Amino acid sequence: MSTDTGALGALLLADARLPTGGHAHSATLEAALEAGLPEERIPDYIRARLATVGRTEAAAAVVALRAARDPEPGAEPDYGPVQEALAARTPSRALREASATLGRGLARLARRVDADHPAVRALPTAQAATPGLRALRPVVLGALAAVFGMTAEQTARAALYEDAQTVTAAALKLRPGDPLTAVRWLLDLSPRIEESVRAAAATDVPHDIPAHSAPLIDRWAEAHARETRRLFVA
Amino acid sequence: MEALRERAASAPEDGAAPSEDGLDPSAPAVIAVRRHGDRSVPVALETGTFLKPGIMRRPGGALRVALAAVRAALCAGDDVRLHVDVGPGAELELVDPNGTVAYNARGGRAAWRASVRLAEGARMTWTEPAFVVSDGADVRREVEADVAEGAELLWRESLVLGRTGERGGRMLASTRVRLAGRPLFTEDLDLREPEVRGLPGVLGGDRVVGQVGLFGRDPGEGEGPDGPDLLDLAGPGAVWRWTGERPYKADAALTPVWRAWGGHT
Repeated sequence: MSTDTGALGALLLADARLPTGGHAHSATLEAALEAGLPEERIPDYIRARLATVGRTEAAAAVVALRAARDPEPGAEPDYGPVQEALAARTPSRALREASATLGRGLARLARRVDADHPAVRALPTAQAATPGLRALRPVVLGALAAVFGMTAEQTARAALYEDAQTVTAAALKLRPGDPLTAVRWLLDLSPRIEESVRAAAATDVPHDIPAHSAPLIDRWAEAHARETRRLFVA
Repeated sequence: MEALRERAASAPEDGAAPSEDGLDPSAPAVIAVRRHGDRSVPVALETGTFLKPGIMRRPGGALRVALAAVRAALCAGDDVRLHVDVGPGAELELVDPNGTVAYNARGGRAAWRASVRLAEGARMTWTEPAFVVSDGADVRREVEADVAEGAELLWRESLVLGRTGERGGRMLASTRVRLAGRPLFTEDLDLREPEVRGLPGVLGGDRVVGQVGLFGRDPGEGEGPDGPDLLDLAGPGAVWRWTGERPYKADAALTPVWRAWGGHT
């Protein structure tokens, strides 16, 4: 594979058309609306994610990228510590499972892109650290970012942008409105996205991954997992 | 590597700590319990600057200790500290009958920090009633727990933003629970900015967060209620978290969970 893939990789990982299963997810928006979130507060919901779970996941992706790029001297990359740190910051089983499902789609892509790359070969170290839980999405995102040669900023932005766009795309299916308005929401939030990008990109080790929680997102996700009639998986 | 870093970051200090973040030096209350035959006995009960541990006589093998206030807390500069150490196979029931009120700090800050260690086979139940954050308060609530393999910690608390009619001050509630040196539950519940905590998905309009945490084992099948408030952790453990408007409703929601998971009455 060519080595000059960083910029293209960043676009690919942020593209909803990437065949990794992201279209089946709403970033818990479906459950939030079910719980009574008014449509006009969807931008605030994106903001809440940017300040909490979104920031945690972006930082975890950056730490996974660093684990892939700079393993201990003479050793293969080990995603165990970042996977474990992220799992401990994700108390909701429903959210861990949704993340692992997305991670699986990304892992399939990673193997197709470059199965022999050390960053891809090391993916099983994630699950080994959390028995029963596959590599979480941010961990695999970081691995793919290493394969593509992306920077920490590109990786964090891809994670945060994708999270926000998951909400806006799901919003258009759940509460059909003007798609251009959804673009406006995103652009209005760009200073906050960039602030989260900077914070995430500055994270070096698992211990420093932010752990800001969102109790209602956890509850909504758990309620959604117990629903039988739903449009989105999570 | 992470486990080592997390451990290093939480190494307990002895005696009065130097002032940090505008906090006044203070001595921790210390409780150390060891198993002796079929009973758990105190090997240290030290009164700190703010809290005094006292034994409550109870039948059974567990030791019950209640915390009493030495002086009013939490005011600006106060740094309430509590160290608990439960030895192999020992059993401690820790109760704090009074709860905590963080008062208007008028620009100052306060902290309430507990570090708990449970050795192999140890068991501890721990109730912290309402922790009230008054208007104008700025408080850090830190709970660090190191639970060894085969040990079990059952913990309950309620965080309340504001006294009646208040919207509440600033609080950052950090919780770090490690099991056998590895992270089990890592959370910073950041309730400092009213605008952020009021966002949909964080707390919305709620002002009370009540929780029961079981660390070291999963609740058994049918042991306690099920529902969207149940957070089944990746490792052995679970948190039942209730959020809402009224503190007494938190008690009603948490008590059945607390009892079902083995909490003392």
